[in-house]
Amino acid sequence: MRYKNFTMEKRAGQTASFMIRFNQIIFEEEGESKVQWRGKVSHVQGGKDQSFSDFNDAVKFIQERLADLTIEATKHESQEEQESLLTKSLSLWKTVTKEGPKVIMETIKDPRKQVANLQDQISELGEDLMEKVPIDDWRNASRSDFNTIKESISELVNEVKKLNTKVDAINKPTKTRSTSKTKKTTTAKKK
Amino acid sequence: MSHLQNKLLELKEFRENAKIRIQTLGQFNLWRDNEKVDSKQWGRDKTVQLLQYLISNRHRHALHKESIMEHLWEEGDDRDFKVALHGVNKVLEPNRPSRTEPSFVIRQGVSYQLDLDKIWIDVEALEQYIIIGNEAYAEDLSTSKEAYKSAIALYQGVYLPNRIFEDWSSEEREKIQILILGAYVILAEILLNENPLESIRLAQCAIAIDKTWEDAYRLQMQAYLIKGNRPQAIKAYQKCADVLDEEYGIDPLPATKKVLQEIESI
Repeated sequence: MRYKNFTMEKRAGQTASFMIRFNQIIFEEEGESKVQWRGKVSHVQGGKDQSFSDFNDAVKFIQERLADLTIEATKHESQEEQESLLTKSLSLWKTVTKEGPKVIMETIKDPRKQVANLQDQISELGEDLMEKVPIDDWRNASRSDFNTIKESISELVNEVKKLNTKVDAINKPTKTRSTSKTKKTTTAKKK
Repeated sequence: MSHLQNKLLELKEFRENAKIRIQTLGQFNLWRDNEKVDSKQWGRDKTVQLLQYLISNRHRHALHKESIMEHLWEEGDDRDFKVALHGVNKVLEPNRPSRTEPSFVIRQGVSYQLDLDKIWIDVEALEQYIIIGNEAYAEDLSTSKEAYKSAIALYQGVYLPNRIFEDWSSEEREKIQILILGAYVILAEILLNENPLESIRLAQCAIAIDKTWEDAYRLQMQAYLIKGNRPQAIKAYQKCADVLDEEYGIDPLPATKKVLQEIESI
């Protein structure tokens, strides 16, 4: 796991690397098969490490080291500024760990829910961002909207297939040329 | 002679005959034609770092210059890299005629890698010995034992101890630590009946690397039991239980508790 900020001059001072070791132990107890994970998380640059059997402890350890990094990088700032940056630093981390898996799982179950989740996260980061991202417009999309889009794409694919067949029939000797044209169109679109 | 015994022999011969030998475990040393290269010949520390980086990434074929620079220099330019590379080549082959290709650092365009067929490196040899030990374990215990012993003999301490705060070295350090922990425990197990005192010592070496390595405590208990030293066997269990409680808040495994029951029933 590595966190970097290449825009800072002293890169090393803005980097925290962590080595996480997981040791899996499968055993029988009272006739039941059990699995246990024993782990160790080490902070490379600081040399500290911590054992854990609950991954939350590893997360806490990493979070503390990252907070130390923010404090060190902002030690010349005013106390107010430092506290503000630290809060932002930690809130981002909390959002990632708490909301990240939720967004992924819910998106898999229902794509529409990702909009609600994104809105929640954006609102946590402040009003300014809310104004810049038209999330409310996306929220109005219903399941039938998604279905309509899917159907339209399918129809479009069928139409393109038909069109290709017609082009091939009309101009068989210059088939290669037709392919190269498609490529050109793609390039133009990219531009 | 079996195929694995041949491999063992080849590894030993390679160590004896290699023009360049490098120690990375416990401390960093380099021998050229059996003569130790002193610190004056290295010049800048970046020269040493570049070679150590190439060793740490020796299995990633052809390391791109940009990637090396990104890890070793905060704001390095091409010149810094060239100077360090020149330093490495100078140490490895001081008498190489100009305008000839270096023979130990292979260059392909702007990618570089060490020639492992020509340079003997302790970590590479350790890994090879453990591979032989694992392969021989099921069918040729004597070769397996010899291979593990050879690997353990190479382990003089942590990988590049003066670079423990550099993230480019941590992957290799972790890999070697896991390999050597396994070697200590497997050899301790093989020697349990034959030489219980050596098993106790080997298990202690594993505990010194990772105090939560439960297999090592269990082996110590079994070895003490074979030696008839009941108090020490119980002490080893207690130490294990204390460490696991302190570090993880958990009890020893049923297998460890079972050994304790055996001890207590005597």
